[in-house]
Amino acid sequence: MRAAVVTGVGAACGLVWNAASGRGFDLGRSVFVQSGDELVTAAEARARLDAGALFLDARPRDFWRMSRIPGAVALPEDEFESAFAEVEPLLRRTSNVVVYCSGFGCEASHVVARKLRERGFPAVILDEGLPAWEDAGYPVDQESRS
Amino acid sequence: MSLPGQLRSARLQLLLRLLLGLVFVYASLDKIADPPGFARAVYLWQVLGPVPANVVAVTLPWIELLAGLLLLAGVWRRDAALVVAALLVVFIAAATLVLARGIDVEDCGCTSVALAAGTDAEGPWPQAWTRGVGWFLITRNVVLLAAALVVSFVEVRGRTDAPSPA
Repeated sequence: MRAAVVTGVGAACGLVWNAASGRGFDLGRSVFVQSGDELVTAAEARARLDAGALFLDARPRDFWRMSRIPGAVALPEDEFESAFAEVEPLLRRTSNVVVYCSGFGCEASHVVARKLRERGFPAVILDEGLPAWEDAGYPVDQESRS
Repeated sequence: MSLPGQLRSARLQLLLRLLLGLVFVYASLDKIADPPGFARAVYLWQVLGPVPANVVAVTLPWIELLAGLLLLAGVWRRDAALVVAALLVVFIAAATLVLARGIDVEDCGCTSVALAAGTDAEGPWPQAWTRGVGWFLITRNVVLLAAALVVSFVEVRGRTDAPSPA
């Protein structure tokens, strides 16, 4: 009984602290989502792919080589500055850009989308990334690329 | 003195209680100071979805703090140790799941959220302690679990207080 009291009081303190301390955050959405981030579902992303959107893979390049959304171009967060130069000509040809990474535990797509926005290229983020795409049954390219 | 006899030693029980209390109070402070940073660390484990992970991120550190303070103060010590033991069982199960799924968690967020928040700040403890979900972490938690079970279930010589009934 006392163990339950410790757990309950601790949890209540945490919720109050989150709501009132000024250090808290919105519990109803991913902490990676910041002001200006626009998320799309896998179905919306699929519709964009069919409409010719440019897909950018924000994961490390080795992951992109192993599997990617069809036609996706690598723009890894960890080598953004160098990779951006390669991708910039493609960005100038479209305003329909989708960034993704490896799921809700991955912040790279949010970081890359923000950096693109700062450079004047708005991009939406695929919510929950490649796993959500695969879970929806959409195709993935797996052949080797250099 | 037999092993059960040694486990009943008041001195050993005090040592284990203070060790657990210090570890859990220390582990809670950075997480309480930066709830979004700890949420990032919880996400990396990929055991819970974003919303449940958020709830864990804001409530868990306070449960750790409260249980740790009770252990340090010696108040409700066996019940507090039971809470700590339950938390450790969950941590061990989650770490085992992460390893089994081959997920690479570079920063477990166990005692510091600095690395999960994207900085390379060095804490006062060795990085192997604070970073990475692996066998080191699981072994450490099994040792702490054993200590918590001793404090919770082994009666101190000369004392008869037991955990309150559930």
